[in-house]
Amino acid sequence: MVAAPYATKLMADLGAEVIKIEPPGVGDGSRQRGPFPGRVPHPEKSGLFLYLNANKYGITLDLARPEGMELFERLVADADVLVHNLWPPEMDRIGLDFGRLTRVNPRLVMTSITPYGLTGPHRDWRAEDLTLWCAGGICAINGGGPDHPEMPPLKTFGSQSGFQGGVHAAVATLGAVMAAMRDGEGQHVDVSIQEALASQLELFFEYWPYMGLIANRLGRKPIQPAEALQCKDGFLYVCCIEEHQWRGFVEVMGNPEWADEEVFSDRFKRAQNWEALRIFLEEYVSGQTVLELYRKAQAKRVPFAPVSTMGDLLNSEHLKARGFFVEITHPVAGTYKYPGAPLKYGATPWEIRMPAPVLGQHNEEILGGRLGVSAARLAELKKVGVI
Amino acid sequence: MPKLPLEGIRVADFTWVWAGPYCTLQLAHLGAEVIRIETRTRPCITRLLPPWPKGQGGGLNRSGYFNQYNQGKRSLTLNFKQPAAHQVARELIAKSDVVVNNFAHGVMERMGFGYAALKQIKPDIIMISLSGYGDTGPYKDYIAYGPAQVPLSGLSSLTGYKGWPPMHSGFSYADPNAGVHGAFAIVAALIHRSKTGEGQYIDMSQWEAMMALLPEGILEYTFNGSEPDRMGNADPWMAPHGVYRCLDRPEQVAGNTIDQFVAIACADDAEWAALARLMGRPELAADMQFATLRARKANEELLDKMINQWTSNQRASDVCEALQKAGVAAAVVADNKFLSEEDVHLRERLYWVFKDHAEIGRIQHAGVPWKMSRTPTEVRRAAPLIGEHTDEILTELLGYNAEEVERLRREGALE
Repeated sequence: MVAAPYATKLMADLGAEVIKIEPPGVGDGSRQRGPFPGRVPHPEKSGLFLYLNANKYGITLDLARPEGMELFERLVADADVLVHNLWPPEMDRIGLDFGRLTRVNPRLVMTSITPYGLTGPHRDWRAEDLTLWCAGGICAINGGGPDHPEMPPLKTFGSQSGFQGGVHAAVATLGAVMAAMRDGEGQHVDVSIQEALASQLELFFEYWPYMGLIANRLGRKPIQPAEALQCKDGFLYVCCIEEHQWRGFVEVMGNPEWADEEVFSDRFKRAQNWEALRIFLEEYVSGQTVLELYRKAQAKRVPFAPVSTMGDLLNSEHLKARGFFVEITHPVAGTYKYPGAPLKYGATPWEIRMPAPVLGQHNEEILGGRLGVSAARLAELKKVGVI
Repeated sequence: MPKLPLEGIRVADFTWVWAGPYCTLQLAHLGAEVIRIETRTRPCITRLLPPWPKGQGGGLNRSGYFNQYNQGKRSLTLNFKQPAAHQVARELIAKSDVVVNNFAHGVMERMGFGYAALKQIKPDIIMISLSGYGDTGPYKDYIAYGPAQVPLSGLSSLTGYKGWPPMHSGFSYADPNAGVHGAFAIVAALIHRSKTGEGQYIDMSQWEAMMALLPEGILEYTFNGSEPDRMGNADPWMAPHGVYRCLDRPEQVAGNTIDQFVAIACADDAEWAALARLMGRPELAADMQFATLRARKANEELLDKMINQWTSNQRASDVCEALQKAGVAAAVVADNKFLSEEDVHLRERLYWVFKDHAEIGRIQHAGVPWKMSRTPTEVRRAAPLIGEHTDEILTELLGYNAEEVERLRREGALE
């Protein structure tokens, strides 16, 4: 799905040779999730899969079969890193065991990304993105707000638990690779997605151990304005954290009289009197366009930002100038723009070298060419469903 | 005891607030020696923000926010208004492997610590800037604040209840996301350096690192030319899939009861059938309105209402336990108290860190989100007091004697 594929995508995009192993027949679950061109589901056209797996070789292998496991071990013998996000009971079932693999390859770094980690009472708990976002403590601080206590905690869009599990795992994995380069010995890295999320709670977690206060979505913001407000043509995030930023915004608005009122005289009072302030701000903001007000505010060092739509992102002059979006041509899905490099390296350029593999595309090249399995044997393995 | 993965790697940490400190926190977790360069003339914003320890009140060394994200690091105070402070920083950089900052574009250059200058001091230095907009492009001088990066990235327009305006993620998500991506980039650059001897500069835009996590939204647009609908807690391929109201917490917090919720996700018909059995209504599984995913999506509002009715007079943790036993993904919507005191799993995995802090003693903090079998990584020390290690770094690392340190202090260079 997302966690392990994102971890290895980060590595593949920097030049690592990544061999993606999928179950024969259905392949990776992300092939079913989309989005799909024309909204017609097709296992070779899922945007999530195509994004996560560009720059990788793809083979199919049934690890639950002894012939599959044998080939897998031969691949592992020559690998620096194995990253997976199989559910722990599934690891047990197929016998994916670091103790055995480290005998095959003592330098191997094996990273297991799992919802709750490989130990503890919830090791075998089922999980989806939604339940992890909740178990990690993030859902509780988003949604409804003080004016809408009837609305439940709200998940953040997409597959964020998987992405966070993946990027944290990528950091730990490369750390273990550094140690293996130095010591000649690999190790097993156990990454818990729940823990990766719980380590990102800003100042909200510490409110309990420090002050005995529960932080949740119903709390009022201590400082205002920090809200998305509606302009003529979309939403703009109006954000004045520091006093000089507020003064800059007041100037942008043409120094209206109401801004001198005592009830708006500092950032805490503006939060206490937000209902009143909101009416004044909405009246002004609703007459402006997003880009116009964004630029006027930024010219005065006021950190407003548009609530970008997808179209805004694709059409952004800034992102165009930086070349963020990249075009990828895939033999089945066609040519589209995708998100590109999250980082620009001075010495080691980020690049797309090949599109995501179609299911089993590199079976012959990797299993035949690399491991020396004969064409006849490959045909046999295919017939019995091992590849 | 085997060496930690990044043992011997020194990081000159010019970061502040959250994105940068979250980056260098990962490096500290992996065993790097992270030295935060701070100044009393303009302390890190997080040192000035609550939460404060009960009964102790505020103070530069007492913020739970700062103390969470600066565990395992040391603190050196330098006042760059004094020329001598620049000299100390240059000497530190000469002995460092990595320099990290998350200032706005151009600030490090103005301080005299742009990449070209650093390369003069240390030819194989690795430098990363985690700026809001990156180093190039027409908006490179725009300023970015944590909460505003979430809407800028596009995440807000994708997040929200069905039919509602865009919503936030609840925290300044782009900050830790930039930090952890930055940590990945640094370790990758260290590997490159150990193979080639070559350092490099890394330009990271917090905005771009956030968009890297939004392929499902961005590709709906590039594939089909349309803006995705906001779906609340729903999922196109799973139903039921939501957050359901349970009994309130029994205790009051500041005079209010706190509402509690459980998250439930049924990935297929069998899991839905298991949920229906637990609800005491096994017949629903075969009911034409709910038997297939398509039917459940079509009747999702009714389905959610029935589940809400079932959960509303139970404790969230009871519902969760029962569903997990039946093989259905569920979780309590954990708040900070639940994580801290009631999540038995995190406790048993020894996730929490209790280190002696020089001013406030032992308080619970979040720890390392991974475990390593051979080179155990852990939080090695509590967050530093401001300037706690100034003397130690000057004398032990940079070779100053006590007299010279005293002189620098008198000149105000160590403020």
